[in-house]
Amino acid sequence: MIAVIGAGPAGLSAAATAAERGEKVLLIDSSPRLGGQYWRHLPSNWNDDRSLHYDFSKAQALFDRVLTNPLITRHSNAHVWQAEKNDGVFTLFVVRDGVEEKVIADKVILATGAYDRSIPFPGWTLPGVMTPGAAQAMLKSHGVLVGKRVVVAGTGPFILPVAAGLADSGAEIVGLYEANNPIRWLLNLHGFILNPSKIAEALYYMKKLRKHRISIRFGKSVDSTSKGFATVNGKRVDCDVVAVGWGFVPDLSLAGILGAQLKVDGDGTVVVAVDSHQETSVPGLFAAGESTGIGGSTLSMIEGVIAAGGKGKFARWRAQVFARGLQRVYPVPTNWQAKLNDQTIICRCEEVTLGDICSSVDELGAENGRTAKLFTRAGMGLCQGRVCGRNVSEIVAAKRAEKVHDSERMGGAQRPTAGPISLGELGDGLQKKF
Amino acid sequence: MQTADAIVIGAGIVGASCALALTNAGLKVLVLDRGPVAGGTTGAGEGNILVSDKDPGPELTLALRSRDLWFEMQADVGDSFELEAKGGIVVARLDDAPLKAFASKQRSAEVDAIEVGDKELHELEPHLTRDITSGILYPQDSQCQPMLAAAHVLQTVRQRGGEVVTGATVTSIKTVDGKVVGVETSKGSYSSPIVVNATGTWAGEIAQMAGSHLPIAPRKGFILVTAPAPKLIHHKVYDSDYVANVASSDADLQTSTVVEGTRAGTILIGASRERIGFDGRMNVDILRRLAAQATSLFPILRDIQLLRAYRGFRPYAPDHLPVIGEDALVSGLWHSAGHEGAGIGLAPGSAHLITQQITGVTPFMDSTPFSPRRFQVGVA
Repeated sequence: MIAVIGAGPAGLSAAATAAERGEKVLLIDSSPRLGGQYWRHLPSNWNDDRSLHYDFSKAQALFDRVLTNPLITRHSNAHVWQAEKNDGVFTLFVVRDGVEEKVIADKVILATGAYDRSIPFPGWTLPGVMTPGAAQAMLKSHGVLVGKRVVVAGTGPFILPVAAGLADSGAEIVGLYEANNPIRWLLNLHGFILNPSKIAEALYYMKKLRKHRISIRFGKSVDSTSKGFATVNGKRVDCDVVAVGWGFVPDLSLAGILGAQLKVDGDGTVVVAVDSHQETSVPGLFAAGESTGIGGSTLSMIEGVIAAGGKGKFARWRAQVFARGLQRVYPVPTNWQAKLNDQTIICRCEEVTLGDICSSVDELGAENGRTAKLFTRAGMGLCQGRVCGRNVSEIVAAKRAEKVHDSERMGGAQRPTAGPISLGELGDGLQKKF
Repeated sequence: MQTADAIVIGAGIVGASCALALTNAGLKVLVLDRGPVAGGTTGAGEGNILVSDKDPGPELTLALRSRDLWFEMQADVGDSFELEAKGGIVVARLDDAPLKAFASKQRSAEVDAIEVGDKELHELEPHLTRDITSGILYPQDSQCQPMLAAAHVLQTVRQRGGEVVTGATVTSIKTVDGKVVGVETSKGSYSSPIVVNATGTWAGEIAQMAGSHLPIAPRKGFILVTAPAPKLIHHKVYDSDYVANVASSDADLQTSTVVEGTRAGTILIGASRERIGFDGRMNVDILRRLAAQATSLFPILRDIQLLRAYRGFRPYAPDHLPVIGEDALVSGLWHSAGHEGAGIGLAPGSAHLITQQITGVTPFMDSTPFSPRRFQVGVA
């Protein structure tokens, strides 16, 4: 049996492909519906509001293939909190609707996706400041518009559909700010030539934005926010919501727990190392989608197919060229630390400020993200450093005029548990003889 | 600093305390560590400063003195490491007679051990299971944040003229005619007639470098950390098996629970003891046992989410006593290691004892039971 973890573009492609090749598949996903974060939706808004999803027809086709294939079993509202591999067999500990169960699999395909990368700035923890992913999730899965006057900022192609989606649903986009300069597109011309569908996608969103009279301001970003306004390159912009995103961070918890080799991608993002079959360093453990490098839904779907034993290596190469281009076009500006002050919160769970982190370096001798964490509690809270870990490492390194070591980046991506479990369920596992 | 009066190897809490005690005795001290401050066992400890788990004997004498020295160290360094006499409560599930007998022995050794009955027990810990109707309160049991303690203590050492060099791996201990003259590190060589080995789990390797030997082995311990919760647990609460466990030489896995709340709202569940090599893998079964034991003590914890679990390696000697004193084979080489799960609690006491011996002051207690000689001379 093949366990596919994650039901976004990569996981759905992997599950459908594997089942169509005659394999029994268990598809495990944390949400109640297929689609993952990318095709997040409410049952009611899926068909009613196709405009929220650019590639609606692709998604629909995958949903149909997965839902109609009798070889695929689905565990929804389920997450794997812990995993082991013994004697060539994987044991997954799954919490499903709050109850733990054990799943045995011969092969595991990780398609666990990514979450928004946040960079702190003064005021980033105020109510009304969020990531574009959060704004979009509210809209897609709760039908809630986050505000009336919205600033969308950060970098990367993802901010365009978020702005367009919010505008379609009635928000006024008072500013759309892309931190990088359009001249950088020249860095990715070959990516577009190889992937003409990406030109069509870009034009689709540009047209939508034009319809709503939204223009993209390049080379600008949010300096700070206060109640009722944001400051963008020194100018006040009145708004009630600010959505800022700086690309994505892959979720590597399970890959790390199972001992798969990780590596640091060109832009400092930690990803799972895979071979040409999408297999990790752990035999039988495969990874597809954003966990192998941020590349978008097209690349994710191709990787999902390959991980399940299907074909598509040329298509993958083409899409990877485009993805690598995006990394060059949309780097996180290196000056983000210059906008911080001593009172700026860096770890929001434990309310640790820049000043706290700096004094852990100056006075207590913190030398890297880990020691700064032990001294300040940055990254010890509910999110376990998923939001701040990388930022803390980079602040400490900058303060010491060093670069963050690859081993620290990879260590920071390791988590002892991949998801929550209650102590009651955990202890009950003894009686269940897990 | 290329020459020091004393070199301390290890920037954990044991090394830091030693460096401070030696500095305060007037020595120019250099602290070396291959990693950062508090990067080893100290960074994976709960910060226990306990007297409740110790049998009357040399370790308890050391623990009692050490506990007072913690508060003296706080007065010296500043209130910067969350030191708190929160008190411990030991409970027994079935028969509380052994518990009471143990407490009465401890009382004769000047431990505050107060028997508490059903009503009082549940006033002290309102969420404790009603199945348990008696316990022993140990008001002296205390708590600190060990990483912050090591860091602040070392900062004080620096302010008083000492030096701390991190990222310096010791590659050899230099001796002349069986006497220590200095150390060689990845960051250069340093000379000193005194080298204190405070490297915890790795103390055996340092002893070997000097041509001696020390049987210190790692014991693995897990700690579960829950998501932050309102204050549910007010003391350190232990199963009485814990007391039996610490003194055990049985290599099988044993778990018993210590449950406590922290200032940050998280609840720590610890005290699993498993003696294996340096295999750092997560053992789901141990996590389950710890969770089952904690939720049976405090049923309210059933709905609290596990946030993370971490592992530490606790250095221990075959007789479960720390090794404090001068090496019997290499003069000038001193050891303060092998404190097992009690390193945080025993750190300042060990530092005091070793400093008295180094500076020729009559020790506050007989140090013979801790001498490294017991593993080095007359052993087949």
